[in-house]
Amino acid sequence: MTTTALEQELKEMIIETLELEDVTPEDIDPNEPLFVEGLGLDSIDALELGLALQKRYGITLESEAESSRQHFANLKSLAALVESRRQQ
Amino acid sequence: MTFRRLADRPWRDRATTDAIAWIPPEADTPSRWLTVPEWHARIGAWQQRLLETPNTSGSWRLFEPDPIEFSAALIAIWERGDRVVLPADNQPKTLSALDEAGVALGPTEPGRKSGRTGSPPDHPPQWHSRPLPAIAVSLYTSGSSGEPQRLDKRFDQLDAELATQASLWPLSGRLVVSQVSHQHIYGLLFSILRPLCENSPFSARPCRYPETLYTWLQHCQATGKRMILVSAPPALSRLPEALDWKPVSAALATIYSSGAPLSKDASDRVHERLGHSVHEVYGSSETGGIAWRVQQQAPDWTALPGVEVSHDEDHRLWLRSRHLETPDQWQRQADLIARTQQGFELLGRADRIVKIGGKRISLTAMDRALSALPGVERVQTLTLQRRDLRLAAIVQLSPNDIPHDHRQHRDTVKRLRRELAAHFETPVLPRYWRFVAPWPTNSQGKLSAEIRQRLFLDLEDRRAPRWLGEQLHENGWRITLEVPEHCAYVDGHFDGQPVLPGIALVHWAMQQARRLFTLNGEFESLERLRFPQPLLPGDRFEMSLDHRRSDGTESLRLEGESQRGKHVTGRVALIHRQARES
Repeated sequence: MTTTALEQELKEMIIETLELEDVTPEDIDPNEPLFVEGLGLDSIDALELGLALQKRYGITLESEAESSRQHFANLKSLAALVESRRQQ
Repeated sequence: MTFRRLADRPWRDRATTDAIAWIPPEADTPSRWLTVPEWHARIGAWQQRLLETPNTSGSWRLFEPDPIEFSAALIAIWERGDRVVLPADNQPKTLSALDEAGVALGPTEPGRKSGRTGSPPDHPPQWHSRPLPAIAVSLYTSGSSGEPQRLDKRFDQLDAELATQASLWPLSGRLVVSQVSHQHIYGLLFSILRPLCENSPFSARPCRYPETLYTWLQHCQATGKRMILVSAPPALSRLPEALDWKPVSAALATIYSSGAPLSKDASDRVHERLGHSVHEVYGSSETGGIAWRVQQQAPDWTALPGVEVSHDEDHRLWLRSRHLETPDQWQRQADLIARTQQGFELLGRADRIVKIGGKRISLTAMDRALSALPGVERVQTLTLQRRDLRLAAIVQLSPNDIPHDHRQHRDTVKRLRRELAAHFETPVLPRYWRFVAPWPTNSQGKLSAEIRQRLFLDLEDRRAPRWLGEQLHENGWRITLEVPEHCAYVDGHFDGQPVLPGIALVHWAMQQARRLFTLNGEFESLERLRFPQPLLPGDRFEMSLDHRRSDGTESLRLEGESQRGKHVTGRVALIHRQARES
């Protein structure tokens, strides 16, 4: 499994922002769901993560928020979102 | 002010020119209004569904996230003269606990998926002369015993509350947009029933995210609509500053918040960004609305019209209110308050009920659910105020179940959270876990506030170990510690295998020794110090400390050992400052 630098950065951001005290970057499987099962994040975390993405990468999620939340499915999709918005 | 009581069935003869709900734009579909005839066809559809569903109990369990379907089903049930039971969520355990309470409707109905796909086909409504049921809705909330507690609301109670709100803050035909669930009393009243009684449209979709709110405000701005936002602290405390709210904020008319108090900071930020103050409503499922405040005007709460507030010597709140089951009687509540010049302030609760992300949870119920899980011997859950209020759990596990390293710790946390997820929603599951054996107590045998604080000290101080208990051992102490995963001493976190430098162990030993023994001397030198193998992040280990003083010499023997073996052995020689100076 290769982890890109961006994925690593996002893992660290998630752990730091959400204060996941016992989670290390290696624990986050890029293909595993971030929410509920998998990492176990919840609706409060989703809001927090949205804010962190804006602060860190200046990404304002699409106003069609429902679809942009699909980018939160797992780390891979989150990285793809950041990647595509950065290039714009 | 336009207001008609639920008892007068305002849904039957709404002017056909009225719009019931606003269906927001989605992908390529522009927004539109749901008309009265269309809505009536949904009520008729649900009436048909009820006719076809065998039910002799006179009560229906309704869990339906779609506001239009929800409102139509609610009215169809009332028109039949039946009672509506509202589960707070659709967790399997919540629903199975309510199995006795009528027949299920909505996406959790046997054999149904979710949303409109499973909704019944349109049908003209039937207006009979059947009286409305004695009990309009039954809600479930966490009681202080930890058991779900059923609360019945009559129409006169709901109407009293709806009338009060209509007189204080009339909706005046503006669009009501909700960020909260209508399965709870606040959402039910503010986002569904108020619009029905005040002839105002509500949004056909919940507005979960700030970006959605932004788009809808833009839309309102462009089309000359004004919006009333029914919200709650989790959403309001996280309005992104990156969005430029200024150009759209004129479309907003009022913001409501309930579920838990909003912090002053968050309230000020909303005011600054959206240009409107938040109207906070304080109340509960049992009591209905009690008071309100606008923090930019005053921090105190003002009782709602028709609600009388008092307290006893213990600061327990006493209420007399038309929203209560017995409107003439003073009733004692679990909330603690103090009188202020202009109203009152909230001091917390007298029982173990807390709110996490606006969701009410009984710590007693959480303790009980956790205690019932395999390997768990004793539990105490508590709240920690971090960025948000979150639950933490101190869990005594059987010796075989104690995790000894990072992987086992993660697996244990995952297992416990997975099992709890059948009973509780994700945000209320404990976020911080301390696995202990035996139960850590002070000399009086209590898990005191001081011990609780020590158990979570590593969250405050990135240099501290995770302390999990200590016992007298031979001539000294044996302390159970863990290496926190994000400990500041752990090096090379992201390249190769990070380890805890040996010297950090000596530092921790000295810190613990200062707390446990009376050390006269100060650090002088390290003797016969060995670090046979390094500790890894997440490792659990025992630190034995032995303090010796004889013939004017003082020393601390230390030994650190985990399941994998020894990590440190050696001695710290201490010297008396006077001795050094002489």
